[in-house]
Amino acid sequence: MATIVTTVTEVLRYRGKIGQWSWVFHRVSGLGIVLFVCLHVVDTSWAAFYPDLYKQAIAEYQSPLFTIGEFFLVAAVVYHAINGYRIIVLDRRPHLWHLQQRAAVLVFVVVGIILIPVFVLMFGHVLDYYDTDPEFVSIAEIAETQAQFAIGFVVIVGAALILSFLQAIINGENISDPIPGMRRASQLDIWFWKFMRVSGLLILPLVFGHLAMMHVIMGVFDITAAGGDVIGTDLVNQSGSAVEFVGDRWNFLVAGVAVWRLYDGALLGLIVLHGFYGLRLVVNDYAHNRVVNRALNWAIVFGAAGLILVGSAALFAGVENTAEALLQNIVARS
Amino acid sequence: MKVTFRIRRFNPEKDSKPWWGEYTLDNVDPIDRVLELLHRVKWEQDGTLTLRRSCAHGVCGSDAMRINGVNRLACKMLVKTLGAGDHIKVQVEPILGLPVIKDLVVDMEPFFDHYRAVMPYFMPKEHVPADGRERLQSPADRERFDDTTKCILCACCTTSCPSFWANGKYVGPAAIVQAHRFIFDTRDGAAAQRLNILAEPDGVWRCRTIFNCTPACPREIEVTRAIGEVKLAIQRGV
Ligand code: HEM
Ligand code: SF4
Ligand code: SF4
Ligand code: FES
Repeated sequence: MATIVTTVTEVLRYRGKIGQWSWVFHRVSGLGIVLFVCLHVVDTSWAAFYPDLYKQAIAEYQSPLFTIGEFFLVAAVVYHAINGYRIIVLDRRPHLWHLQQRAAVLVFVVVGIILIPVFVLMFGHVLDYYDTDPEFVSIAEIAETQAQFAIGFVVIVGAALILSFLQAIINGENISDPIPGMRRASQLDIWFWKFMRVSGLLILPLVFGHLAMMHVIMGVFDITAAGGDVIGTDLVNQSGSAVEFVGDRWNFLVAGVAVWRLYDGALLGLIVLHGFYGLRLVVNDYAHNRVVNRALNWAIVFGAAGLILVGSAALFAGVENTAEALLQNIVARS
Repeated sequence: MKVTFRIRRFNPEKDSKPWWGEYTLDNVDPIDRVLELLHRVKWEQDGTLTLRRSCAHGVCGSDAMRINGVNRLACKMLVKTLGAGDHIKVQVEPILGLPVIKDLVVDMEPFFDHYRAVMPYFMPKEHVPADGRERLQSPADRERFDDTTKCILCACCTTSCPSFWANGKYVGPAAIVQAHRFIFDTRDGAAAQRLNILAEPDGVWRCRTIFNCTPACPREIEVTRAIGEVKLAIQRGV
């Protein structure tokens, strides 16, 4: 773990060229997106399982704190994607390495060119929404909900540490041992190296499409606009409830196929596998103690499996019943 | 002109932690090299300053150090390239990621262990050449690995790499460069074995293409390119 501190201070002290900064931004943006994906998969599943919680989650997404985070998120995804593309191209064509510096600069330029109109549009949504004098969820409430996620992370990592520690005792391992170095060549590393690149290419259009729909063309605020169009469908969000919005999208059929469920399912699987394997790469860089390293690797495997499970359960369950119930509620009330 | 050195000092017998020493030299010639000036500090001001050098001409690879924030051979750095004006400030510290023995001298053994791990020696395809005398090779085949024959094992590249700082088990760019020199040699018969070693978790996959190594190499070897070629060779064969 000590080498995290060394790496951070020495990256600042070593006068590397731009490639060093490309790496810093790629790693930090990747980790930031993983963190957000963890929250986002769990709270989107609430649309199917706990509609009230989902409405609360969307209300929090509409608060100023998350709006700031949203700008960072979009910037992180755009940078990571374009820079990932640069990495992939240069990996395939090592003889082009003399272009690396220029390519790294070009990535920053392209990201800037993409982000300017995107931010203008996103900011437009923010202004429109603020014109309506909305009521925001209080910071205290946000802290309360997010604290549950933080506790969840601590519990998972803590449980993994305890299990790994117990295994060390059972196996009679010395708990201060480092991970054994230079194990034999494993197909896993080669396979995942390719997977990181292939999945990156597949994620690129999916995640850009998702961000365009939910954050740029439409804003997060329009999810709860009564009478608003539901993007990607020919439906209208009658009740103005976030749950109905999700239900409309998931139930929308093209030639009998629930296209948005497939889309979200593909995005879920690819992002979680890519992001959590990326997390493993980072963990293996800095966690050298055998017990800690094993624990974090387990936490990663269970975390990824858990997210895919929760996300696909929600996609399969759908939200039809709850959405209908909601509608009936509203009709009954008016 | 004048040069003020700020040098990272550490004597394990006296110091509990490293400290910075300042030394100012007068009458410096702009084309003096950092190595000569470090000698002057040692000879004129503080005889305890410890550094390693041998050839003083960029051939032996023994005086790698971090000079003004980047890894360089002290014997190849002209002081005039380190600043303008007639008073230049130069900061010198040991390369990072290998244990410091004293002042600017690091323990190179872990570095050489990684070097040895890739079997950096010729392993012929057949014991006796076809004509019984010479192992012939076309100029084009020789060209294939020409760049990586130039390595002098100075460790400038490996100790500039954030992946190596993070985890000293990473085999590192220098060892991969040395392996490249044999993997792509048509006369050598052990490419598959070497690729197998470099496909280990602590092998090439720890390289995140950060590209600190290439500009650090005093021999101007295209280090990251060589690493990229090895990565592809692991997947597709040579
Ligand atoms: C949008 C398209 C994307 C592309 C083209 C892409 C590309 C890549 C590539 C090529 C790598 C490997 C870097 C290396 O081995 O040096 C990588 C690493 C990583 N990616 Fe992505 N990625 C994308 C989206 C995502 C998303 C959505 C997440 C989060 C869920 C993510 C999280 C990560 C993480 C955590 C790493 C590891 C970073 C590191 O080792 O420093 N990526 N990405
Ligand atoms: S290109 Fe690879 S070996 Fe070179 S500095 Fe970067 S990560 Fe290290
Ligand atoms: S590749 Fe260059 S920097 Fe690395 S050890 Fe060889 S000569 Fe030194
Ligand atoms: S002293 Fe030999 S390379 Fe510098």
